[in-house]
Amino acid sequence: MIFQALLITFAFFALAKTYRQYQHRKVSLYWSVLWAVIWVVLIVVACIPQTTDLLANYVGVEKGADLFVYSSIVILFYALYRTLTRQEKIQKELTDLVREIAILEAKKK
Amino acid sequence: MKIVAIIPAFNEEKRIGATLLALKSYVQEMVVIDDGSLDGTVQVALDSGAHVLKHLVNRGQGASLQTGTEYALRVLEADAIVHFDADGQMDPSEIPTLLAPIASGEVDIVIGSRFLGEAVNIPPMRKFFLKLATWFTAVISGIPVTDTHNGFRVLSRKAAKEIRISLDRMAHASEIIDLIVAKNLRYREMPVTIHYSAESRAKGQSTLSAVMTLKDFFKGRFFDDV
Repeated sequence: MIFQALLITFAFFALAKTYRQYQHRKVSLYWSVLWAVIWVVLIVVACIPQTTDLLANYVGVEKGADLFVYSSIVILFYALYRTLTRQEKIQKELTDLVREIAILEAKKK
Repeated sequence: MKIVAIIPAFNEEKRIGATLLALKSYVQEMVVIDDGSLDGTVQVALDSGAHVLKHLVNRGQGASLQTGTEYALRVLEADAIVHFDADGQMDPSEIPTLLAPIASGEVDIVIGSRFLGEAVNIPPMRKFFLKLATWFTAVISGIPVTDTHNGFRVLSRKAAKEIRISLDRMAHASEIIDLIVAKNLRYREMPVTIHYSAESRAKGQSTLSAVMTLKDFFKGRFFDDV
């Protein structure tokens, strides 16, 4: 019960934060909606844990909690891959920028 | 024929002056790329008559060579480019010999090899790792060079345009070999002498950096299209 209450409180807090960030135009509508959906799903799952069991049975996993862990790992790996490729791209852009500045400001006595 | 030397430098104020002084009479222009040094490398290089390009943030030797190449091609209109180290390990009197096959149009790129020539005072561990890296590159790229990680090279204008280094750190050496194959460039390996001093040994590549180079090499193969 305590865990459920904590989860719900956290999800409401995150939902409010997402909304505030959207209001201040810190995140786009696309990402705000996506995050809002995630938090709402979390609230639903925390209130009625059986919902995940239904979904788990539908896709062939025994327990809802297991399904949650499996999908979390897949999503996190994908997010890591995305972040790494992005970082690689930023590194390349940084090199290009540093290079252009070096060439533009070349010196000779 | 306009010959431009490209010298990447990182914290080399103690050695770059002597290197540039010895190099001066063998090339028309010297381009030093200061890779974010914290010492007086820039001032020493300027006083020695080199063009100095400053990387505001350290980007690695591969990135420095590419910066120098673009400057030499775009601004100085170089006909041939010499890759040369700042630390005094290389002998500039070997440049005319390495340049000859480029000047006569026989090949597009000449790669120096300390194992065809001489590696004076080379530490045994360094020799082992260099041989291992060379064997590895030969297997992967399919061309039997004897010294992949030798920084002494001479490139024609055509080769310099074709070889666009995208690996910023040390793995650029095997990237160059890959690009020779991919771009169908004519190459020749020639003997050079590399002198190892106590100072250059201390600053050179460690075993750990050899592992990091291997990581970059694989990264290059998976993230970029060479």
